[in-house]
Amino acid sequence: MRTLTKSWDDIFFQFLINSFLIILLIAVLIPLWRVFVMSVTPLHYIDTKTLGLWLDPRMWSFEAYKQLLSHPSFIRATTNSLIITLGGTTVNMLLTVPFAYALSNPDLPGRKIFITMALIPFLFNAGLIPTYLVVQKLGLVDTYWAVIMPGAIGIYNMLVMKSFFEGLPEELKEAARLDGANELQVLWHVVLPLSKPILLTVGLWYAVGHWNEFFNAILYLNDAKLQPLTILLRNILLAANINEYVEYDAFSSAPVSAFRAASVFLTMLPIILIYPRVQRYFTKGTMLGGVKQ
Amino acid sequence: MKKFLLKFLLTIAALALILSACAPAAPTEPPANQATEAPEVAAPTTPPTEPPAPTPEAPVDLEIWVSGRVTEAGPPPEDWVAYDIIKNDLNINLKVVLLPGTQADQDTKINTAAASNSLPDLFFVNRDSWFKITEAGLIANVEEVLPLMPERTKTHYSDPNRNNQVTYNGSLYGLADPGNLVQTDAMVIRQDWLDKLGLEAPKTLDDFLAVAKAFTNDDPDGNGKKDTYGLCAFLDGSGLNGAGLGPRFDFVYGAYGVAGTWNLTSKGDFGLNVRNPNYMKATEFIRTLNEEGVINPDWPTLKKDDFRVGWKQGKCGMMQENFAALSTKSNYADFDANFPDGEWVSFDPPTGPDGASSAGVTLTPARIYAVSQKAMDEGKGPAIARLLEWMATDGYMLLAFGEEGVNYKLDANGYVTTEGLADADKWTAKEAQPLTQLANMVYIFSDIELQARYPAYKAESGREMAPLDYYNAFGKQAYTNSSGAAVINPPANAADFVRFYSENIVQFVLGQKPLTEEAWAEYIAGLDSLGAKDLEASALQTLIDTGFIE
Repeated sequence: MRTLTKSWDDIFFQFLINSFLIILLIAVLIPLWRVFVMSVTPLHYIDTKTLGLWLDPRMWSFEAYKQLLSHPSFIRATTNSLIITLGGTTVNMLLTVPFAYALSNPDLPGRKIFITMALIPFLFNAGLIPTYLVVQKLGLVDTYWAVIMPGAIGIYNMLVMKSFFEGLPEELKEAARLDGANELQVLWHVVLPLSKPILLTVGLWYAVGHWNEFFNAILYLNDAKLQPLTILLRNILLAANINEYVEYDAFSSAPVSAFRAASVFLTMLPIILIYPRVQRYFTKGTMLGGVKQ
Repeated sequence: MKKFLLKFLLTIAALALILSACAPAAPTEPPANQATEAPEVAAPTTPPTEPPAPTPEAPVDLEIWVSGRVTEAGPPPEDWVAYDIIKNDLNINLKVVLLPGTQADQDTKINTAAASNSLPDLFFVNRDSWFKITEAGLIANVEEVLPLMPERTKTHYSDPNRNNQVTYNGSLYGLADPGNLVQTDAMVIRQDWLDKLGLEAPKTLDDFLAVAKAFTNDDPDGNGKKDTYGLCAFLDGSGLNGAGLGPRFDFVYGAYGVAGTWNLTSKGDFGLNVRNPNYMKATEFIRTLNEEGVINPDWPTLKKDDFRVGWKQGKCGMMQENFAALSTKSNYADFDANFPDGEWVSFDPPTGPDGASSAGVTLTPARIYAVSQKAMDEGKGPAIARLLEWMATDGYMLLAFGEEGVNYKLDANGYVTTEGLADADKWTAKEAQPLTQLANMVYIFSDIELQARYPAYKAESGREMAPLDYYNAFGKQAYTNSSGAAVINPPANAADFVRFYSENIVQFVLGQKPLTEEAWAEYIAGLDSLGAKDLEASALQTLIDTGFIE
């Protein structure tokens, strides 16, 4: 059995790398921690010494979270966000996967034309007004489809996926075809099982985009019953700013900054929960998608 | 075979995209009063060739985009009693859409709708967008509908200062409703500190400095620590009209006769106040306050929330504050708990060397509603007038406070009260907020409204608090009228201009720049290099055009 011994150079290199990563970790954690501290800061407290980085846990107040979570529209808005996220990501994947798979075949007739047709709107966006007109003319205003369909296929995502598919061994697909599988069967039984990393990676990108949906929702969803969580949280924050001037609906139990920070945390929460489960695929997916074997 | 399958797959993908986009997949049924057809889109400046004139008997569909009174609450429910009244009595199918909370988001939504010629019939709009959309010919002249709503015109559209803000080519192209309350912010002082130190409220700037020093150095709260400040403030201005140090320091500039960004007294005197030598003198006085250490030292970076925590923690002796932020029940509770014997009283803004004084600038704020040209071409003008007239008369109380007996009651004096009503039904309850989302369309700041919105109460300490007493006291103080400033359009480089304007003033006050005649002249030259003279020329022309300056 061979024993690996580390040279001083290796140890020094590891030390450097780990130090850098620790510094990076701290740089990422400090703002997050500060936002959390802000979110649990009670109304009467003002920090003058710790730059908002420390608050005795005995003083923590979760009033901002309580107020946000107990809002009568919170469940409806969260449901809307989930519908948009799950529905939107499903549509995205249903359309992106076959598109990318078809274009990954070098023998596809007119492949370059299709790719060019995909790239033109990707590189030269038509802009807000034409998109609005299309959505409006299709009768999608005030439906979930208005925020799902304009970005149904992300060309960048499709190209990443196409690169991944191109990197899969052609022999595997040929073997399936020799066994009598048609292209749909090849895609379903051979390609997709081998493509979990890219599917999860691109799916995550799509899902995060839908979860954070704000601008299109403002533009296309006039009906408040359809509006997602991002809009509700934004409106609550605005109300917290404005209501200091009125008596009856003032947020008296938490400072505005706590609402702001709590809303940031609540919005991040689903992504924070999902990301660790997807992360191992995420790295692999992005790396493999960028390299053509 | 393989190629065929690939083509098939691609075709399926393309078809799926198209079919999904075309699917009429409305997840919820539109309310009965909601127009189900997408608005017809045409070139923005091209009116419909054959407007569908509604028959007199047919209900008129009206879609209005408004800014809700409470941004977090949703729109009125579908079974809102007002919808039935509007439909049965006014023959109008009303659809209410609440605009996003911020002006930027509102602008995006409205400008996009304007560019696609799909503006709603009646909509709330800020003045800058109103001006651009009016220039594009998409907003209607409303002078012909005013006679159709005489009471509304009397209560809402009879203020020339507001009407000037929606005047275009000599005609009214908008409905300028009353905006926010004015003269809500003024100077207040800790009366208990004055009493403890045997002082009187300052009358001049010299007095002010003396009292501020005493409040800072003489332990007015008696805790044995030097932890108080004579003046608490922060940078509160935004935009061109809030450039400089902002309204919290306006009382100093007012004492020198130069409060606000603009001198609007006459055509001859018009210009940026910074050109007036008194502006530099006022800045010098604030610099003295800063050097003497009588202002909270973190004022250049302090946020509003922290500023308010400061006075609630007993750090401040004097400040400019909003009456409601100071004295309404939920806002006052912390101060009351910390200092049951503490008392804030209003005092007149101190006078300057020439006897001038001002608590700050006052505008004539307007909430602008516009009627789209499309709606007018479709013959909806009379229906819009009918709706607005109803809002100002029979519908006023319903829209402002909800249903009588359910959401509010009237006391013996005719004032609104919620005594004896179920908590969740009270018009002040969070659950009831959707019912009064259109209140901003009816508010005229009458006594009954103010009494309802800012009721008197007894604090935990037993102190009788009446927020309106502060408001009334503030209203008696001297203010600088800057109503015309509302129509001055910011320059294209407004962000750079305002940043240069404000940052230099802060640097002068903090001593980061010498405050000399030469340095001031250099500062003014810098503003000129950013287009100050052009801005003044165009602003003057706008003010003359809109009648604010003769």
